[in-house]
Amino acid sequence: MEQKLNSLLDQARGQLDRITKDGAPDEVKKQLEDFRIRYLGRKGEFSTIMQQLGTISVEDRPRVGQLANTIKAEIEQYFEDHKTALVGTAGVKGEGFIDLSLPGRVPERGRLHPVTQIMTEVCGIFEALGFSVAEGPDVEHDYYNFEALNIPAHHPARDMHDTFYVSDSILLRTHTSPMQARIMENQQPPLRVIAPGKVYRCDSDITHTPMFHQVEGFLVDTKVSFADLKGILTVFTQKMFEKDLALRFRPSFFPFTEPSAEVDIACVMCGGSGCRVCKQTGWLEILGAGMIDPEVFKMVGYDPERYSGFAFGLGIERIAMLKYGINDIRLYYENDLRFLSQF
Amino acid sequence: MKFTIDWLNEYVDTDGISSAELADHLTMLGLEVDAVKDLFQELEPLKTAQVLSVERHPDADSLSLCQVAVGPETLQIVCGAPNVKPGLVTVIALPGTTLPGGIKIKKSKVRGIESFGMLCSERELGLGTAHSGIMELPEGTPHGQPMMQALGLNVTMVEVDLTPNRPDCASVIGIAREVAGVLRRPLTLPVDKAEVESARTSFSVDIESSELCPRYGARLVTGVTIAPSPWWLRKRLLSIGLRPINNVVDITNLVMMEYGQPLHAFDFDKLADRKIMVRHPHMDELDFTTLDGVSRKLDPEMLMICDGVQPVAVAGVMGGMNSEVSDSTTAILVESACFNPVSIRKTARKLKLSSEASYRFERGVDPGGCLLAMERAVRLLCEVAGGVAVPGGVDKYGGQRPLKTLVLRISRTSELLGIALNYEKIADVLLSIGFRCKEKDVDSLWVGVPSFRVDIEREVDLVEEVARLVGYNAIPTTLPTVHLSYPEQDQSRMIRTEIGDLLTGIGYFEAINYSFTTEKHLQSLGLSESDPRCRLVRLLNPISDEQSVMRSMLLPGLLENVLRNINFQKNAIKLFEIGKVFAPKGENEQPLEKTRLAAVLSGNRFGDASAFHFKHKSVDFLEAKGAVEHLLQGIRLWGVGDASPLSFYKPEQSRIDPYCDSLQSLTIHAGEQEVGCVARILPEVLRKFGIKQDVFFFDFDLDALCQLKGVPKIFNPLPVFPAVGRDIAMLVPENVEAGGLVEAVLAAREPLIERCEVFDVYQGDTLQSGMKSVAMSVTYRSPQKTLTEKNVEKVHMKIVNMLSSKFEGTLREG
Repeated sequence: MEQKLNSLLDQARGQLDRITKDGAPDEVKKQLEDFRIRYLGRKGEFSTIMQQLGTISVEDRPRVGQLANTIKAEIEQYFEDHKTALVGTAGVKGEGFIDLSLPGRVPERGRLHPVTQIMTEVCGIFEALGFSVAEGPDVEHDYYNFEALNIPAHHPARDMHDTFYVSDSILLRTHTSPMQARIMENQQPPLRVIAPGKVYRCDSDITHTPMFHQVEGFLVDTKVSFADLKGILTVFTQKMFEKDLALRFRPSFFPFTEPSAEVDIACVMCGGSGCRVCKQTGWLEILGAGMIDPEVFKMVGYDPERYSGFAFGLGIERIAMLKYGINDIRLYYENDLRFLSQF
Repeated sequence: MKFTIDWLNEYVDTDGISSAELADHLTMLGLEVDAVKDLFQELEPLKTAQVLSVERHPDADSLSLCQVAVGPETLQIVCGAPNVKPGLVTVIALPGTTLPGGIKIKKSKVRGIESFGMLCSERELGLGTAHSGIMELPEGTPHGQPMMQALGLNVTMVEVDLTPNRPDCASVIGIAREVAGVLRRPLTLPVDKAEVESARTSFSVDIESSELCPRYGARLVTGVTIAPSPWWLRKRLLSIGLRPINNVVDITNLVMMEYGQPLHAFDFDKLADRKIMVRHPHMDELDFTTLDGVSRKLDPEMLMICDGVQPVAVAGVMGGMNSEVSDSTTAILVESACFNPVSIRKTARKLKLSSEASYRFERGVDPGGCLLAMERAVRLLCEVAGGVAVPGGVDKYGGQRPLKTLVLRISRTSELLGIALNYEKIADVLLSIGFRCKEKDVDSLWVGVPSFRVDIEREVDLVEEVARLVGYNAIPTTLPTVHLSYPEQDQSRMIRTEIGDLLTGIGYFEAINYSFTTEKHLQSLGLSESDPRCRLVRLLNPISDEQSVMRSMLLPGLLENVLRNINFQKNAIKLFEIGKVFAPKGENEQPLEKTRLAAVLSGNRFGDASAFHFKHKSVDFLEAKGAVEHLLQGIRLWGVGDASPLSFYKPEQSRIDPYCDSLQSLTIHAGEQEVGCVARILPEVLRKFGIKQDVFFFDFDLDALCQLKGVPKIFNPLPVFPAVGRDIAMLVPENVEAGGLVEAVLAAREPLIERCEVFDVYQGDTLQSGMKSVAMSVTYRSPQKTLTEKNVEKVHMKIVNMLSSKFEGTLREG
């Protein structure tokens, strides 16, 4: 008898599952009604089995009875759910009060890390401008990180990079610029490439984390000018910050570019009138750039008289901070869901 | 580099230019202004006062009772300073004033006598270290004036963040030159011509290598009285954050800041044999105590300044204790020299000793400027310290090079910058900061580089100068004209993007952890030392032990994230990370970098979804497996037809990682190769990470996944005939896997069977113990016709029989 009850449940579910919305509404209603009569009706299958309860032994009876009740409840529940799904409840048809203030049935959703989101956005803008994306090793040769970029050993410019070393000649890259040398070594101009990735500096305080993300970009061709660099970066910042922000290029120094520039945008917080974020200057530094130094070209065997090009590098965390108003760089790597779920 | 605007004004007149405008000019010249600050603001309330009379305090021998004039008022002050005397003009803090150190002055009674303020020492005002008495202002200073005014303390300090290529601007004159250029105003120098008279000197200078020491100038000043510097000199140093020491040392510092030329003052009488030798130290001279009192270990490669017997200074870095100027010094040998930048940098690095001098030498000091600075210092020693300049001196200039002359092409400059320039414009801007220009031909000019611009060596350096002086903002903004080409897409980057979308789509948040970690985590996971993941790439100079090795797996970082989120009361945690792991290769070789994907899940499976619809339910193994199936289906590597390259396996006990629950672990394989796994983490491992609830994870070798070819999308015509569904409930031994039954049904390759899936597994009291019921629904369909009950029944029975015999099962009656 227990077996019978169990298979009755399977059978009932099976039959209900076969009643679908495909039929005409009246047909569906009829099928549902037939089902109800066949299984749950006074003379239905369930009642028939229950009538045999009397035939089993007294000690088994409570257990079987309880099982029977459970199974009946399950069939009834299954039937009601199915019926609701197929023909709806009275309420949904507009008869009576429906509480529309109840929350919708929202599926779960996660988020990409804000750094990934900004990185994707940055790469997307440059890809649309015809740049290809390349990635390189995090653990780099001294040669690519420094020498090939016109930063020889014992050059004071090395002070600008607090470097983590793995051995004498192997280090964690301090910028994504090594990709300039790596790519130029293997390809001929014209080149339009951006290289996103992690970079490392042994520096850790409220405004620095020892790991952060950069995107390096460069373009090499004949007759590329500083004015072109200004043009590309102007397009980029305006797309990135979704407005016509004023841009300021000011002279700076990087050993692998000449002339070199640092690029400021009008402060996104105050619009340029001066606030705490821009230290009252009205400007925010967002990237470094310049015309690729002839020494760098010579090292990869390009003729600097024939080719010219520009390169730029920008910090992703910095852009995310400006774009989203994040005020503490350490939040990026704590992976606190209260932080991650905001973007 | 710090300077004050009044100091700058000594060399170039900035009248009419506000400090903000000046800062903007400098920044746009590439001399980025970090800060503009009005100094000494905290001294605002202090006033000058003149002592009228001094009497002994009736009850204390060491105290004086003074009558002090402060403008029209006369106040009674109790003072303990020994130097208080009638007529002295000093500084008074009246009641209510707060001194820079935080002391608040009140009207008080000192040993029973009222005192209406305090006469201040320099130290109390934050203006120096002198505390032996109250400050003494020059005679004739009126009393009752604000002290700021009387002492000229209304100064504005500007701090410039210098780039390493501009050592010439590590001097106030260097900055003034740039300002003079941009404002087109004249530059006036305190000393603009200097030479050493040839006269017999009472000392000699020998230089071992002119490569390491291109120039060495020295002069002798006698009759010097060591004393505190006059106020104007101390003020200069104080306002840029240098501590005044005594007149001689202060003069060398002042001139260094003024000309950018580091100077050194030796006590001449301490130099053995009246000799200077610029040489490497001998092996028995490697212990040396520098001026800061630190005993240092030298290296035979370092360049030293020695007297006839022993080293007396580390060349270009710091002087030695043994030749230091002391209060009894009367004869000063002034050194103004130029050293090799690389040599100085190496020495400063090895000694871990960086000074204002080494900073400048490392970046390059103008050898042409040595004598100017020396002359200036000698004159000041005579004026300020009462010295007498001994005629003659030494100027060893073995490293003299001709001034550089470069050719600059006008067309090249215009092309590179994207702005049309001509000879006049270029020459105009270059001349303004001391270059010399001469027309060479129609398209080019000769440019003479002044000696102080050690950074200018090539044509392109001049192009930069032109750009900088014309102004970057004057250069137009254009877009490059390029040849169109298709940017190739990186396959693995695309897959990473897809995985990110798939996982965030089912509630996972992306984490990014540091690439460096601690190896303790690997022990916590129970990995044996022979495990390849225990071979680590180590940092030589880590910030801390916690970040000392490159990670070899992603899981530990994610477990730390789980703990953090539990601590912040998150009851649903689903995180994933895509990142590199590292394994060492050879010595001095780049390590192997592999990209992996890992995810962890813990707590409520419904995340932050509305509790109204989704009642709390804890994640379990099948939740994790489901995410993996979703992911692999999404990138078309599994569950998309027979040709899917991946399959799930139950791993052998010996191959299960020590941190995984062996009963809840599956591995995912591509042929023979294991590419990933999904498992429950053992509670005892989690406890080592401080986690007290269940955590499941999955982990994939993403590089391996990227190598696999996803099943292509191919259209299957939609079925024409209806399907027939039949259920089977099999009673089988409980250790039979439901998946095995489904696989067996599909493996029968019955043409009519379209689909088979488990819809219920039941085990309970109603069944024979050791048995369970597996209910499957089988979908039958023929591409040719509508199936009849009879068609289906035949195949269905065959399947049922097959299952019964294969799995020792029986069909459940029903």
